[in-house]
Amino acid sequence: MWIAKAVTWGKSSIMELILFALCAILAFEADGFFSVDNLLNVLRNVSMQGIIAFGMTMVIISGEIDLSVGSAVAFAGCLTAYLTESLAATGLGLGASVALAMLGSLLTGFAVGALSGFIRVRFGVPTFITTLAWMTVLTGSAQLLTGGFPLMPFPEWYNFLGGGYLLGIPFPAIVFALVFLLTHFLMGYTTWGRSIYAVGGNAEAARLSGIDVARVKVVVMAVVACLAALAGIMQSAEIMSGAATTAKGWELDVIAAVIIGGTSLMGGEGKIRGTLIGVVFLGILVNGMTLMNISEYWQHVVRGVLILSAVLVNRANQ
Amino acid sequence: MSETPFKLATKDLGKDYPGTVALDGVSVGFAPGEVHALIGKNGAGKSTLVKMLAGSVVPSRGQIFCDGIEVALSSPQDAFAQGIAIVYQELSLVPGLTVAENILLGRTPKKRGIIDWQATYAQAAAVLERMRVDIDVRARTGDLGVAKQQVVEIAKAMSLDPKVLMLDEPTSALARHETENLFRLVRGLAAEGVAIVYISHRLHELRQIADRVTVLRDGRHIDTVVMVETGVEQIVQMMFGEVVQRERPGDLLPGGTTVMEVQGLTCEGKFAEVDFSLYEGEVLGIAGMLGSGRTELLKALFGAEPVDSGKVVLQGRSVDRPTPARMKALGLAFTPENRKEEALVQAHSIRANMCMASMGQIASGGYITRKMEQAVVDEQVAKLQIKVASTEDAVSSLSGGNQQKVVVGNWLSTRPRVMLFDEPTRGIDVQAKQQLFQVMWDLSREGIATVFVSTELEELVEVCHRILIMREGRIVDEVRPETLTADELALRCMGEN
Repeated sequence: MWIAKAVTWGKSSIMELILFALCAILAFEADGFFSVDNLLNVLRNVSMQGIIAFGMTMVIISGEIDLSVGSAVAFAGCLTAYLTESLAATGLGLGASVALAMLGSLLTGFAVGALSGFIRVRFGVPTFITTLAWMTVLTGSAQLLTGGFPLMPFPEWYNFLGGGYLLGIPFPAIVFALVFLLTHFLMGYTTWGRSIYAVGGNAEAARLSGIDVARVKVVVMAVVACLAALAGIMQSAEIMSGAATTAKGWELDVIAAVIIGGTSLMGGEGKIRGTLIGVVFLGILVNGMTLMNISEYWQHVVRGVLILSAVLVNRANQ
Repeated sequence: MSETPFKLATKDLGKDYPGTVALDGVSVGFAPGEVHALIGKNGAGKSTLVKMLAGSVVPSRGQIFCDGIEVALSSPQDAFAQGIAIVYQELSLVPGLTVAENILLGRTPKKRGIIDWQATYAQAAAVLERMRVDIDVRARTGDLGVAKQQVVEIAKAMSLDPKVLMLDEPTSALARHETENLFRLVRGLAAEGVAIVYISHRLHELRQIADRVTVLRDGRHIDTVVMVETGVEQIVQMMFGEVVQRERPGDLLPGGTTVMEVQGLTCEGKFAEVDFSLYEGEVLGIAGMLGSGRTELLKALFGAEPVDSGKVVLQGRSVDRPTPARMKALGLAFTPENRKEEALVQAHSIRANMCMASMGQIASGGYITRKMEQAVVDEQVAKLQIKVASTEDAVSSLSGGNQQKVVVGNWLSTRPRVMLFDEPTRGIDVQAKQQLFQVMWDLSREGIATVFVSTELEELVEVCHRILIMREGRIVDEVRPETLTADELALRCMGEN
């Protein structure tokens, strides 16, 4: 009896077990891995991508995708810097300028995402295409805003948002935890979450069940883009500048984390908790390999192989 | 059997599926030059028979003869080899290719490995010329109308030079004059000596096209008759058999209050000028053949299809810009015709599916927990007697009848005022059907009105207070079920009376 239960539990928590095994190996093999400082460091490193990954999980469950999140991070950082500079130049206080600039970036992100969603539901253009287009538009726009050089208008305290600590915990990690709790609650315990699953599982059935499919898709696209903007602000705070070249290729890491976490690219299935595991798994892997002095080239290869293996494990488990 | 001149014949052919006998004891022959119609209600076994003859379903017993010699048709290739070709109801053309490419798909003539376009066009044109139809072989197939695509589909079958051509509901998507053209084509092919097997449930077509008619009912071969010697009434009788009429409970009386009023509802090409009222506690049937516009009408009532004019009045107020979400909020519920594609998320659990439409009712302020859901789900599972091992199992693990009950339970939890059922009994067993009727009657007792669309006319006669007859997109008649039998209703649906 308890064996059967343990097997069921083991199967449903296979990624957790693998993550645990990975940590155990690294604790012995990688010097300095198992220290509070290092683990907090890992947490900080994964938190910005992680924040986006939770939004991406919702998007993928709804049957869509967003390829533009990497560029959206860079764009949001540059836009915040640009707006801060411009507002401060009008004589507004630096603090108020930064606050307004952040708000502007978040709203712009939200609008960009909502537009992708709108184009999806109104004209039937797949979000794969629309967000691919946004990817280059946003990268280009970030370059235009900065003129090719990082903008550095930020006050000293701004660094806290990306590099600060609260009660010994990195601030981005706190935001990461909050976004996790929020999206976990939303997907698991609200009619909104249920609607997202239903829309991704069978959009026509959802529509005929009286669910507003268009609204669901527009909102999830807006949410992920908004979370990307939030990550962008924190990223610019960490490096204290708006630079168009940051966050290159993040979309792939983010999507990889979501997939490792067991979310189906076909939509309708997935869990925020799974994505949390996926994000931490990737973060620890990179950290461990770096500590073990494995060359970056090998790291790429190992990461790719492990992503594929994780997906195969999830598949075999279904 | 071996002395007959039949091109294709069967002897005691039967097919079992787990739990049911789909077809039993069918002995029928198809002669060169005849148009032989196969008719029967849904589930009578027509498609099972045709699929066995086309080699896509293997018979459980019995024999198939080609030119008097017994053959085993274990794959569509075997059937092709015997000169048997089939045109299915759903078109299988590639819209982006030219007519010629579609006709010769997979067999385009090649020169040194490259498609020989000249030969391709010439061969395709020759096929069409033989059929005496005028279609440009270079046209993009997707640009043609449905009727011409149908012809291309037939040409594709004819390019194999078959001895037997089976046509499955070829007119279901065609307008009247297009049907005429198709008949001319079919007769021409028969005149060339091809044996035509014509599957249809449009009775009025039979007189125009069929030489002989084979009637199937509940998987059994009822009779094969010569069309000119037989009346349509006789055939209808064979299709329906002696139906035991069950009584509707006597305590169900619709109230006088109108709960829904439909005024001049029109959707170009689908239905027109539909007017009717629905009363409190009434079970209203809509009878009509495939393509009569009944499904489209029901979807439009639920706001799931746009309309061109007319309106739906609920509780005295006209609903503008209806959507399923708004109609749900106004107390409408709708179970669609294709529950797999349109009503359920197959991969999700029974629980999740049963809370899909009703989650607004279950949640408080958008907050919802397993516990809240489970109470509602358990209530419906008990009420509808759904057989489930666990409500966490995927809904796809259930039988058709139980899946349908999940859909119904999902909507009952929304506490609707009007239930719209589109073909709710399709593909479900007799017991589940009776339970479903019981649900409609129970709703009626609570004053909830039901609109019930079905091709199973005896069900309508059994269950409804009133039946509207729909033909070619219009409501042409209104009848009381007490006053007529299912086969009389069938004749009216086909415009025979």
